[in-house]
Amino acid sequence: MSWRWWRRIRRGVQWLALALYIYLLFAALQRRVAFPLADLFLRLDPLLAASSMLAARAWIPRLAVGLITVLVTLLLGRVWCGWICPLGTVLDLARARRAKPKQGGDRLAKARASVLRHDAAWRKVKYLLLVLLLVGALLSNLTLMVLDPITILTRTMTTAILPALNRAVTVVEGAMYGVRPLRGVVDVLERALRGPVLPVKQGVYYGSLLFAALFAGLLALNLVAHRFWCRYLCPLGGLLALLARFSLIRRRPARCTSCGACASTCDMEAIHPEQGYEADPAECTVCLDCLTACRPQRIAFRLQARPAPAQPYDPTRRQFLAALGASALGVTLLEGQASVALPHPRLIRPPGAQDERAFLQRCVRCSQCMKVCPTSGLQPCLDEAGWRGLGTPRLVPRLGHCDYSCHACGQVCPTGAIPPLSLPLKRQESLGHAYIDTNRCLPWADGIPCIVCEEMCPVPDKAIRLIEETVRGEDGQEVVLQKPHVLRDLCIGCGICEYRCPLEGEAAIRVRRA
Amino acid sequence: MTRMKRRDLIRIAGALGVSAVLVGAGCGDAQPDEPTPAPTSAPPAPTATQAAVAAAPTQASPATIAPTQMPATAAAAATAPATVGPTISVGQAYLAVARGGDPATITQRAIAAVGGMERFVRSGANVIIKPNICVAYHTFEYGATTNPDVVAELVRLCLAAGAKRVRVMDTPFGGRAEEAYAVSGIAEAVKAAGGEMEIMSPVKYKDTPIPDGVDIKNWAVYQEIIEADLVINVPIAKHHSLARLTLGGKNFLGVARNPNQLHRNLGQRIADLVSLVRPELTVVDAIRTMMRNGPSGGNLDDVQKQDTIIASPDIVAADAYAATLFGLKGEDIGYVKAAAEMGLGRLDLANLKIEEISA
Repeated sequence: MSWRWWRRIRRGVQWLALALYIYLLFAALQRRVAFPLADLFLRLDPLLAASSMLAARAWIPRLAVGLITVLVTLLLGRVWCGWICPLGTVLDLARARRAKPKQGGDRLAKARASVLRHDAAWRKVKYLLLVLLLVGALLSNLTLMVLDPITILTRTMTTAILPALNRAVTVVEGAMYGVRPLRGVVDVLERALRGPVLPVKQGVYYGSLLFAALFAGLLALNLVAHRFWCRYLCPLGGLLALLARFSLIRRRPARCTSCGACASTCDMEAIHPEQGYEADPAECTVCLDCLTACRPQRIAFRLQARPAPAQPYDPTRRQFLAALGASALGVTLLEGQASVALPHPRLIRPPGAQDERAFLQRCVRCSQCMKVCPTSGLQPCLDEAGWRGLGTPRLVPRLGHCDYSCHACGQVCPTGAIPPLSLPLKRQESLGHAYIDTNRCLPWADGIPCIVCEEMCPVPDKAIRLIEETVRGEDGQEVVLQKPHVLRDLCIGCGICEYRCPLEGEAAIRVRRA
Repeated sequence: MTRMKRRDLIRIAGALGVSAVLVGAGCGDAQPDEPTPAPTSAPPAPTATQAAVAAAPTQASPATIAPTQMPATAAAAATAPATVGPTISVGQAYLAVARGGDPATITQRAIAAVGGMERFVRSGANVIIKPNICVAYHTFEYGATTNPDVVAELVRLCLAAGAKRVRVMDTPFGGRAEEAYAVSGIAEAVKAAGGEMEIMSPVKYKDTPIPDGVDIKNWAVYQEIIEADLVINVPIAKHHSLARLTLGGKNFLGVARNPNQLHRNLGQRIADLVSLVRPELTVVDAIRTMMRNGPSGGNLDDVQKQDTIIASPDIVAADAYAATLFGLKGEDIGYVKAAAEMGLGRLDLANLKIEEISA
């Protein structure tokens, strides 16, 4: 089989993995069948496994799948990066065309040259990020998991790309529905897509613009160097790079003519002419492009027992210690925020995740829970739990309640930060308590009949009682009003009352932390 | 300076478009369902006589012709030729009440008594059945959602009467539509009967003028409901704190966008909605009636088995009769009263030809 084929196979696998990732994004919306697989890529991520287990000081069996990636890396090198990682594939798809030779005035060319000049320093960044992240995890802080590639992709998909897609399709279909002959097409599309692919309810998310911009920036870095993210920044890449140094099977040029074709084709620029055109296994993503470039086909993959030689861009002991200290300092600062001591009063965590400390020791900011939340009430935190809680989920009942017939978030949470409660158990979980704002509530404040909160309350015995009261209206007429009262013992804080309160703007009944 | 190439222009335009969509997703409205309440000052309600005059041309008709309005008078209905089913031989009643242990049978008998489905379904008709599937919390035994056997029997009758397409739909307020359809048992029953479940799509709501509306003159309403040849309203009778009971009129909240906004002046607004939709047939499921803690329930102790189906082309009469099962009168229910005042149907059960059937 020609080497050329290997490249095609690799591309095929990349496409398949990305397709599977996207399929799983949608499949989880259909629930149940897809639940055990919904977080497959997150479970394959050993950084996620390592950090959450470190932070929680617990063995999380569900994440044992990550060992597969570790073993594959120890055998073959960073295959994950070159073949599987959906973010890596997206970056490959967003490949900037080869730079044309331009005048020296080109800013991009300058940036490129500057990065290349400081290549060694840049390559350290991913290791240092990894140290920051793991030391943070050791100190039970997982804030930096926002930088894990799979969580980045899932977060961007959940908060920006999927809602944008839904909006776009809905707008186009809405326009088509207005044209009578096209209604049949709308019908077919709706029947195929609505529900399984497009949620009936259009989700809107806090921070979506921020996350979309960060993602766009990450793609834009491709202009400076292809897979800039993977080469220089990715902490998961850093972890796999450490493992790949010990990989058993490595690329080895044999009877090399030093033509340099492989080095110039390498996307990661991992092949060093001064080291006999060997590739640094820590940087090589096993994309196999160099095999095609090597005309005489003199590259082989051989067993090697010795770890790879040290490279100039390996962090020094001093840098390692500095990162360690920086991480400890960073965690101290993050934990010392006033918003940690006094969280936002309306910081409502998903069902079963009421112990804030335990929750933050497991939540890896992957956004899976927000993705499957049918009401899109689960939203990414910005600073409501302090900046250490960036990207963790919170319920914003005014945007969407915690549905009485749903327990999806706990089922797809890869780390158990949201426990996988059965539906009957989840129905008993209290997320907070509803309080009536009698200054705004229609019957309380204006003498206007309204019982929507009581009507919506899903608790079989109703956690909202209506107490009849005869009042004199502004026109002097007597009216019998039903005034809502919350029964604290029964209220589960699901927030459907707040979501459905017919007032404009802020609701007159609101859920607060218990 | 060189001119921009077409390709570049397209690329830039594309990028701008994509970013516009992303920005749209980010800064989009916080309340996805845009409120569109348009309460207007109330013109005087048309009196019952006016409405009766307006409805007069639509005579109670022989079985082959589907009336678009409710029969103008009980007398006319009474004199209309009898429509006989294969086994049932009764006259055409204004309102039929069937009692018995088998939901499908009593549904069939009640429909037969009001003239058989052939009276309502034109050959090739596009029919929409609107049950109450308000939540995905509990199975139908809890009395929150319409009995699946009743819905399925109606689908069967429609198809047998020559309907081309029979769709069943509702917008649950608790849970996703697919899930609510499945949990209620209606999805399975309807599919077995040959009908289709439609997930009510956000693209199919359009601002619709309500010419006869007293409080609301305009609301975003599901267009398919407006345009269907026949709408069969199949509420389940149950408790509701504000309206007192959820019956046929209340069931139509599910075809309007932002139903919660309709809760202000609920009675009149429901009646206004009914004046827009004017369902040709109302079948009230009173097989398991929820007596307390409606509309979602969840406690079997709140459910009373009454094994009753009420059918009538007149939504007001059907609701008024159903109210009696709760020890109430039609006048006690705000929207029933308001609809009667608008001339949308009759409350005076004593003057109507009511057929009671035991099966």
